[in-house]
Amino acid sequence: MNKVITINLGGTAYQLEEGGYDTLRTYLETAAARLQGNPDRDEIMSDIEQAIGEKFRALLGSHKTVVITREVAAVLDEMGPIEDDSGAGADPRAGEAKARAETGESGPAQTERPPGQMGAPKRFYRIKDGAMLAGVCNGIAAYFNIDPTLVRLAFILLLMVWGTGVLVYFVLAIVVPKARSPEEKAAACGEPFTAQEFIRRAKEGYYGAMKDFPDRKARREWKRRFKQEMRANRDQWRHNWHRYWSESGDVHPRAGIALPLLSVLHGAAAILWGCALISLLATGAVFGIVLSSIVPIWIAVLVMLIAYKIFVWPLKAARRVCYYGYGRPRWASPFVFMLDALIWLAVMAVLLWLGSRYLPQLGEAIRNIPSVAHDAVHQIRQWWTGK
Amino acid sequence: MSVNEKFSAIRKGLLEFLVLKIIAAEKVYVADILKQFSATEFTTQEGTLYPLLSKMRREGLVDYEWKESEAGPPRKYYQLTAKGRDQLRETLDYWGKISGTVKNLGQK
Repeated sequence: MNKVITINLGGTAYQLEEGGYDTLRTYLETAAARLQGNPDRDEIMSDIEQAIGEKFRALLGSHKTVVITREVAAVLDEMGPIEDDSGAGADPRAGEAKARAETGESGPAQTERPPGQMGAPKRFYRIKDGAMLAGVCNGIAAYFNIDPTLVRLAFILLLMVWGTGVLVYFVLAIVVPKARSPEEKAAACGEPFTAQEFIRRAKEGYYGAMKDFPDRKARREWKRRFKQEMRANRDQWRHNWHRYWSESGDVHPRAGIALPLLSVLHGAAAILWGCALISLLATGAVFGIVLSSIVPIWIAVLVMLIAYKIFVWPLKAARRVCYYGYGRPRWASPFVFMLDALIWLAVMAVLLWLGSRYLPQLGEAIRNIPSVAHDAVHQIRQWWTGK
Repeated sequence: MSVNEKFSAIRKGLLEFLVLKIIAAEKVYVADILKQFSATEFTTQEGTLYPLLSKMRREGLVDYEWKESEAGPPRKYYQLTAKGRDQLRETLDYWGKISGTVKNLGQK
């Protein structure tokens, strides 16, 4: 037994099952949002409502008076997503999107698409949820849709080869942005962001009672309904995503060049900071400024850290913007990151080479790295076996 | 990329032209247009057609009138305006040229 809701479509009353009502309401809300800025929005909406009404009427008879949830979904599927590319002058890029957006093959006979074909583009982010260190392996795993443990193992294997794993890891940890917002996390996994819809509903108090489930059965029922509706919305949101990324892709055509440059600047700042820190700890002086003995060393370190953060903040922000602007062709993001990482490595190598050539202490330190590493491994092994 | 996907831009670009052509023949209602399209490669849905028709009406290519239907509320029947007919004629000419070019190019 299901609850029935009576609605008015184009002046005629229809009775829908509650689940179907929710689906219809979401469809109409999405349609209205899509038509935002269209001068004929209200008229198109009423046309659409009337068309839906007519399809409902075709389903009903003298003994069948209620449209069930499954039928509502089928009718909306037949209607197809609202595609407004007239733009109505509100969005000048809409015309370009027109050529890219696909509509022709959205007929009822061809609605079956291979999964992922129309999905949101994936992007490479570091994912901190469930990460061991900086989330690099997690991000790679999400990008290629494999088990993060395998990626971690691969990195550990790489570590055996001259420590390459560590180097690559650190470069990636610095270069790749972290997925912060839920949208970014969704993009990292290539998932359409249906959670957005969930939040919107939660805000509306649509599922007001969802927090206090009387028993497990009610909770399961709610979950079932939620999943069902999410499925109904998925295509719409996928489409939104697709459209959003395809439009924002043209914003920064020069971002491909700017990104590595900014990375180099960022890296140089990091190296400078590292040198300053070492010099402070070793000699008590930074860039020739001798630390007064009254100031405790931790305050000096803190001040330096803050100064570094302030300096680096705009660089980070700019890189983020570039990254966003550079997302449209799917293959581009990993490619750009490879380039970015390569340039970064090259700059590091040049700096190290210059350093080892002109600073005897640094050259000495670099030559000592193998023996220091050996000692460290030895100590760790001792500690391990000792335990 | 499948052929279907590859030509979606072409189909989309031609949609307005074909809608003009269908409406030119007789006064039609949206469901009639969809029915005519349904048997072709241009299968279309209401979600696409309503915004397109409203855009065409805004541009002054089509106009509609309300007509009573036997069952249910009155329906909008679309017809071409003088401007719409002009555009259809121009597009038909142009289409003739294009298809001629497609046929002739590369042939010796």
